Amino acid sequence: MDIEEVFSSKLRVRILKVILQVGELNVSDIARRLGVNYTSTIRHLEILEREGIIQHKQFGRIRIYRLSPNSPKAKAVQSLFETWQKEAETKGE
Amino acid sequence: MPRYSSVFRDEMKLDINYVPHRLPHREAELRLLNEFFDFALQSPERMSQRVMITGDVGTGKTALAQRFGGDIMLNAGKRRISLRYTHVNCRECRGSLFLVLQRVASTFHPNFPKRGYSAEELLGILVQMLDEENAYMILTLDEFDSLVEKEGSEAIYGLTRLQEARQGKPQRLSLICILRSLKAVERLDPSTRSTLQSNIINLPNYTKQQLTSILSDRVVLALKPSAVPEETMSLLAEIAMSENGNARFGIELLWRAGKYADAEDLQVVTPECVRKAVSSIVPSLRRNELASLSFHEKLLLLGIARLFKESQKACVSLVEAEQIYEIACEEYAAKPNSHTQLWKYLQSLSSLGVVKTEVSSVAPRGRSTLIYLPRTPAHELGEQLVELLEKGETASNGH
Repeated sequence: MDIEEVFSSKLRVRILKVILQVGELNVSDIARRLGVNYTSTIRHLEILEREGIIQHKQFGRIRIYRLSPNSPKAKAVQSLFETWQKEAETKGE
Repeated sequence: MPRYSSVFRDEMKLDINYVPHRLPHREAELRLLNEFFDFALQSPERMSQRVMITGDVGTGKTALAQRFGGDIMLNAGKRRISLRYTHVNCRECRGSLFLVLQRVASTFHPNFPKRGYSAEELLGILVQMLDEENAYMILTLDEFDSLVEKEGSEAIYGLTRLQEARQGKPQRLSLICILRSLKAVERLDPSTRSTLQSNIINLPNYTKQQLTSILSDRVVLALKPSAVPEETMSLLAEIAMSENGNARFGIELLWRAGKYADAEDLQVVTPECVRKAVSSIVPSLRRNELASLSFHEKLLLLGIARLFKESQKACVSLVEAEQIYEIACEEYAAKPNSHTQLWKYLQSLSSLGVVKTEVSSVAPRGRSTLIYLPRTPAHELGEQLVELLEKGETASNGH
């Protein structure tokens, strides 16, 4: 998937943002925090996972997602979000 | 500028959650616990262990387990063994196995979901987490009684026989169960009981000497040098002893007494600070109990209260009490009663819990009765007695 396509969804960006903030989360928790339904959350999580940005661990029926620790794409996303956050803080947003 | 100096050096050392490096009078039990878990530092995958620690409140059960846990994790780390020690209080989890395991799972994944699975599934998940990290866990179930009460045999059987369903795989989970007495496990079925009761460490109640040395250790850690005189130490130990050798109570009392000393800008923690502290923890003598005392019992107690108020001593002898009782008799125009009668009054005050008595054999001549005033601040007691005696006088004058 092209970069513009990966970041074309506002919900995907928000999912990445919440995973970065919290560290690791299960699907229901992500959906609840973002106020969206389970099905669309899991669909976007699967897209991000296919791109190698995030990965999951399965515990019985529970899936816990986090950033892929060794993925260059995940590192780039992390750096992008951190830079954005710092800028926002200096501007007092 | 107002001067503020505290009797404390580091009051956190008196916090209920602080675990000291040295556990006085529990060295043998700590060694035994280490022996039971020796395998965890040699070949942890080959076996798991179950140990029960029993003992009354304040006998050091939790501190023993936590000291052991901290030490063994450190030693395992040095040997590159991934060993986790997790301490969960079952009562805080309302005796629910699910909540206990949920708390354990959250040590691996802090945002692990709180719903959507059973305790049985969660136990499987926990083992999976340990397998994935090639880690081993010693799980301490503190206040195990409440887990037994709520969950009964089946859940505890599942916890203890975890390995039977995974033959040939590394053993991951060992248990330490902390409870007051083995009575709680009597309600479990025989097979569950037999898996639990193989290794039992019973902690006997501390003696007064042991309490004194435990408190002295904490004083060195938490308070400034010379801030706690011997008299105060003796009273603290005496009160902790009267609470069934409860060291935790004694330590909490020491902290509270220190706070009273600070509030009054004193340089030392006096026995009176301890009495004030204890009256803030334990409900002190009820007014109607004092009113029910006979006229001479009130006079004797008034004398004792005055002695403590003036002397800052932890204990006084019956001879000293007798002398000041005679002064009180003169004040209230009463003829003093005999020594034997006073001894009887003292027994009745002691059975009410107003004073505590102890027979000392270290007096210069023979045996002497020592009197402690453990619960009520001397000045407060004195004031109440004067009020009651004066009321009684008015009443008798009126007749």
